[in-house]
Order: sequence, then C-alpha cells, then structure tokens
Amino acid sequence: MIETPATVQAATLWRIPRAAAIVAVLALLLPLVTGETFLLYIATLVALYAIGAMSLHLVLRLGQFSLGHAAFMGIGGYTSVLLVTSLDVSWWLAAAAGTLLAAAMGLLVGPLVLRLKGVFFVLFTFTFGEFARQVFVEAVAVTGGSEGIFNIPAPAGFTTPTSFYYLVLAAALATVAICGQLLRSQFGDAIDAVRESETLAHSNGMPVFAIKVITFTISCGLVGMQGALEASFVHYVSPISYAFPESLRFVVINIIGGLGSLWGPVIGSAFLVALPELLRSWVDYQWVLYGVVLILLMKYLPGGLMDLPALMRRLYRKSLPGAERSGGQR
Amino acid sequence: MQPILEARGICKSFGALRAVQDLTFSVNAGEILGMIGPNGAGKTTAVNLISGTARPDAGEVRLAGERVTGMAAHRLVRRGLVRTFQSTTVYGERTVWQNIYRGTFTQSYTGFWSSVMGGAAYRHQRERTVERVERLLADLRLDDVRDTQARHLPYGRQKALGIAVALASAPKLVLLDEPAAGLSAEEADRVAEIIKKVRETEVSVVVIDHNMRFIAQLCHRVVVLHHGAELCIGTPREVTSNPLVIEAYLGADHEPA
Repeated sequence: MIETPATVQAATLWRIPRAAAIVAVLALLLPLVTGETFLLYIATLVALYAIGAMSLHLVLRLGQFSLGHAAFMGIGGYTSVLLVTSLDVSWWLAAAAGTLLAAAMGLLVGPLVLRLKGVFFVLFTFTFGEFARQVFVEAVAVTGGSEGIFNIPAPAGFTTPTSFYYLVLAAALATVAICGQLLRSQFGDAIDAVRESETLAHSNGMPVFAIKVITFTISCGLVGMQGALEASFVHYVSPISYAFPESLRFVVINIIGGLGSLWGPVIGSAFLVALPELLRSWVDYQWVLYGVVLILLMKYLPGGLMDLPALMRRLYRKSLPGAERSGGQR
Repeated sequence: MQPILEARGICKSFGALRAVQDLTFSVNAGEILGMIGPNGAGKTTAVNLISGTARPDAGEVRLAGERVTGMAAHRLVRRGLVRTFQSTTVYGERTVWQNIYRGTFTQSYTGFWSSVMGGAAYRHQRERTVERVERLLADLRLDDVRDTQARHLPYGRQKALGIAVALASAPKLVLLDEPAAGLSAEEADRVAEIIKKVRETEVSVVVIDHNMRFIAQLCHRVVVLHHGAELCIGTPREVTSNPLVIEAYLGADHEPA
C-alpha cells in the first residue's frame, strides 16, 4: 500500500524519514567544514527562509495562495525586537511573544480571509500584507518608521556566527518536526482532503473551516518565529524587510522547490537563497541569470526541483541505445 | 415509529426562481425513498437543503426528531446524515482505500492533539477504523482495486466507491444524488444491488434520479417533484399510474411499474 497520511500506521507516525535524518546530520556538521565563512552565513539564511517557506507550505497545502505571509513575519519580528530593545525583556521570552502574537493575528485574520477562495484570497492577503507594511511605516514612534530599528542584539550565548547558525538550525528542525508531524497525521490528511475537494471533505464530516483556521494559525506562528530570529541575525528591522517581495519570495521558494511535499520548501530555500549568492561572481548579470534560471526551471520542472530525479531518469533512459525505438513502441 | 427524516414545508428561491416550494415528506427507518422529477424539478436543491449544503428560506428539517434545519453539512454527518454528489463523488488522486478511510473521519478522528501525537485513543480508534474500511471493501466488492487511484476506476465502480465512502461514516440516512447517472443499464443494476444491500444494514436511503425504471425497482415509496413542488407521493405503482405524473413527466405511452 502506498504510504500517505491516510495509510501511515500509528506505530510509524513518529518515524523520522531517513533522508531527513541524513540532511539534519549534514547540517549539524556543516560548520566543521565551512568554519565561520560566507558559506555559513548563506547556510544560516537558508535555514531561516526554510522556516517561513515551510510555514507557507501548510497554507498552500490547503489550496490557498497567500501573498501576505511576510506581514506575520513582521509582527513576529517587531514584537520581539520592541520587547528586547524597549522593555528589556529576555530574548527568549520576546521571541516566544513574537511567535505567539503572529499566531494570534493569524487566528484573528484567518476566520475573515479563509472564507475567500482563489483570486479573492490572494487579493485579500496581498492587501493585508500592504496594510501591515503601511502600519510599520506610519507607526514611527514604535517601529522607527521607514528607517527601522538598528543594533538589535542576538540572544546571549548565540553571538558568534556558528552558535547563531545552530540556534536557527534548531528552529528550522523544530519547524520540520511540527509541519512534518502535522502533515503525516490524520489532521494532515484532512488538510489534503480540503485542498482536493472541499465539497467532499464537508460530506465526509470534516470541519473544513476549523481545519483551515488551525492550519493558518500554526503557519502564521511559525513565520513569526522566523521574523524574531531574522531580526537578531541581521540586527536590523524595517518595513522593507516585510514587504510584498518577501511574501512573493516564500511563494516562489515553494513553487521552485515543489508543492507536493515538505521537501519542496526546504530544497527551494536552499536553491533560491544560495543561487543569487553563487552568481555574485558575475555581478553585472547576477539578477538576469537568476531570472533565466527560474524561467528554465519552471519550463522543464513544472513540479519543482522535487521532480529533478524523475527528469534525470527520463533523460538517462533517452540516452540509452535503442531508447528511441522502444519509446516508439510504447 | 418516528421517521428518520422529516422535511416540512421547505422552500428555497434563487432570485425570482422558486427552486423548491413547500416540500413536505418523510423517510421511515429502513426505507428506500425515491425522489424523481425532470431536469430542473428541484431534486438536487431539495437534497442540498436537507444535507446542509444550502439553507432553506422557510420550513423545517428534522433528523431522528432533532431539528437540524440549516445545520452545517459536517455536523449533519456526525448526526448520521450523509450524502453523495452527482459529479464529484471521489478523491481522484487517492486510492480506493484512502477514499474510504477519509469517509470514516467522523468515526476515526479523535481530535487535533490525539491525531497529531498518535496517542492511545488514536491508536485504538485507528485499529477499529482499519477493520471498518476492510469490511466495506469486501462488502462493496472493491478489495481487488484497493490500491488503485480512484480516477482510474471505471465510472460505475467510482459510483460504488462513492457509496462506500458515504457508508464509512456509519450513517443512519444516506442521500444518493443520481447514483445511476451516466451508467449503462447493467452498471445501474449493479448500483441498485448495492443500494438494496445498504438497506439490509438498517440504513435508510433517499435516492434521487430521473430514471423511473431504476427508481421503481429499488424504492418502497417515491416522491415526484415538478417545478420545485411535490406532484405526488406513493408506491412506485401508485406513482407511475397517477395521471398527473403521466402528464407532467412520464408521457402517455408509459407502462405502470
């Protein structure tokens, strides 16, 4: 039997997939190879973006396409920063508060927005994202307006690049565990059912609206956590950090990585965060090349990078002698 | 004995169109009730009003004596009223087994935390659910295609799967919206056999169709709808010999059932 959320046995619900364990171990060993170099900086960015991209993956799995996810990252970011810098709250408490407030905003906005479908959902989330950005700009006394807030400290004990990398990695692995467990469970199967046919999900007795709101709330909390971490990583927040391009980046990461599984946003983050950095050698053409690579990917891998092994197998079969003839017979 | 379902004076309009007008009928426990009428008679709207897909403008729906008018579809499933749809009947990308498993949701879901953490309640319920899925696979003769994606099944077997998914929620009453639509006579007979089997399990059934032959061989009583209103109600023989039904629906050359 094909193993999917519907068929996964209770005993294996907690099993860690082997590939995920290997990637986690490699990520843990990475600083030993790279040292505190630019590569470690990129790896930290990849882990940070993977958190937000995985959180959006949950919403995409519902069949909803959000273009305002960065707003919740901003809520997490500003909340934690303000608590640390203005009220001298411990970083850990502030980050937790940022995460919870982003989730609470998700719980508040979700019931309004999740009644909408298709292009209306996309437009509402886009508008909400722009509204939140405008609030960050206008509330100068609190947020510092367009100039933002500088000199945001990292948590005590995590001030070196390596230690901060491990902090972000721990958060990313926790996000993998939360999203993975959610999607493998019967609740995750209901999420897929809602995407595949809301009508049928209703007639199966699934509380479709509640499933959407719970998933959206968790998703907003997770991206809020990314906001808190990122603010301490770059030591700076401003409305531009949470504007539309950031929301769009989460969507593009998911599409390029692949929408079918949680690997999509992880692979997409690794590729899309690293790609512009790797193209820095051709700085004049960096963003042109970036665009060309994205277009080629969407043309030849419409299912995202997750489809790469299947494409390689197809190309390999084609390259075998007699492949054309056997292809003709099929 | 108290009817399992009572609809009293339910009405629904879409703008100037009165889709269902003052419709009253009941379904007795263990009964198969047919609902028949030409296209646009209001059959599917009536099912939508009863199953919580749409809310009636007026009237009342009672399930086993409890007022359930306008109640959301998923709550009605929990109370034992489940429906199938004319076109969207199965999750095409999922296997037959997975489709039926999803149908057990109201029976197997033990809550958010329990399902995500795989707690004892979940494990216990899971075992019972798997047994239930296996029994339905055997009863509806679907075990040979258990791992086949639903979209690859022949249309007749997709319809059978749709009924299996509805039965998976352990309902008291099943509303089947055109279960024989688009099927050959042979396939329709097979679906009719399945529906008769369903009744043997003490589940009441409402079958909506516009094929009188199909309805007459299955149902104890038939409600005939015309322009959203009840034209007559009775046994298949009474209905097919009713002059109003003959004039409005069957045509003068029709043989009584």
